[in-house]
Amino acid sequence: MNREQVLEQVQNTLGDRIKNLFVKNPRRVYFDVDPGDVVEVTRIIHKDLGARFCIASGMEMERDFEILYHFGFESEPPEGVLVSARVHLDKDKPAVDSITPGVPAAAWIEREMHELLGIEFRNHPDMRPLLLAEDWPADVCPLRRGKPWEGKVDRRI
Amino acid sequence: MGVKVRALMKSPWVFHVSAGSCNNCDIEILDCLCPRFDIERFGAILVGSIRHADALLVTGAMNRKSARRVRQLYEQAAKPCLVIAIGACALGQGIFRDSYSMVQPLDEVLPPGAVTVYVPGCPPRPEAMIMGVVKALNQLVPAKQPVEAKKEQADE
Repeated sequence: MNREQVLEQVQNTLGDRIKNLFVKNPRRVYFDVDPGDVVEVTRIIHKDLGARFCIASGMEMERDFEILYHFGFESEPPEGVLVSARVHLDKDKPAVDSITPGVPAAAWIEREMHELLGIEFRNHPDMRPLLLAEDWPADVCPLRRGKPWEGKVDRRI
Repeated sequence: MGVKVRALMKSPWVFHVSAGSCNNCDIEILDCLCPRFDIERFGAILVGSIRHADALLVTGAMNRKSARRVRQLYEQAAKPCLVIAIGACALGQGIFRDSYSMVQPLDEVLPPGAVTVYVPGCPPRPEAMIMGVVKALNQLVPAKQPVEAKKEQADE
């Protein structure tokens, strides 16, 4: 399946759930989706179109939180395409449905984003802490803007 | 010189702990052991357990999780145990100083005076590490007969 076929298939199956499609370069495509559609969209890309779930990346931006779900349509170079679906989340209470039930590989990266950025994932099957030390306070999210841990975490062990 | 120190100096067995390093120091340590620098000719060998080791090589800026493990390793080591801090991170946390997961530096995690030698560099050259080991061993002997002097006598 070449690049044009992939793009056409993604656009045909997802229809108007795609907002602001942006072709950065021939092998890199971004589009926005509503937070309510994200479970459906990722399930279609992964299960129906057969893309590999590469990773998700979360960021705290100035106005909101962003999560990008990256999917790879892999074939012989130069035909592979990386498709990234982006959701914008509320700055004060970032929360989104978990895509893990449809895309099992997302389980750990969602735990990581929950722990480091404080994004809540609804319906996640196992939301235990993943990376931080056992005595790290649960309400301090180290990858948020500024230095949120200062004064809250003892720097001596 | 007691029998314990003499045995330690004849073949210092080394345990290497990477406490969250970027692996560059670790690669240089392996370089020390490979034929080009070959510290095995001095009797030093990398062992798999701290309980067999005479020296503890620490690389990397320890984070909140690994600092406890390093302290535990030091407690498990048979004394006297040389601790050799290798690389800028193990010395003073390097560029990771202000990171959220940093705790106090190595010489404050271990008991005072436990760290024998600091080898600076990012990463240190294998020659510097060998020199560090020699200095650490020299600390063990009484002041009048350091390793180099003894070697000269042997040459004569």
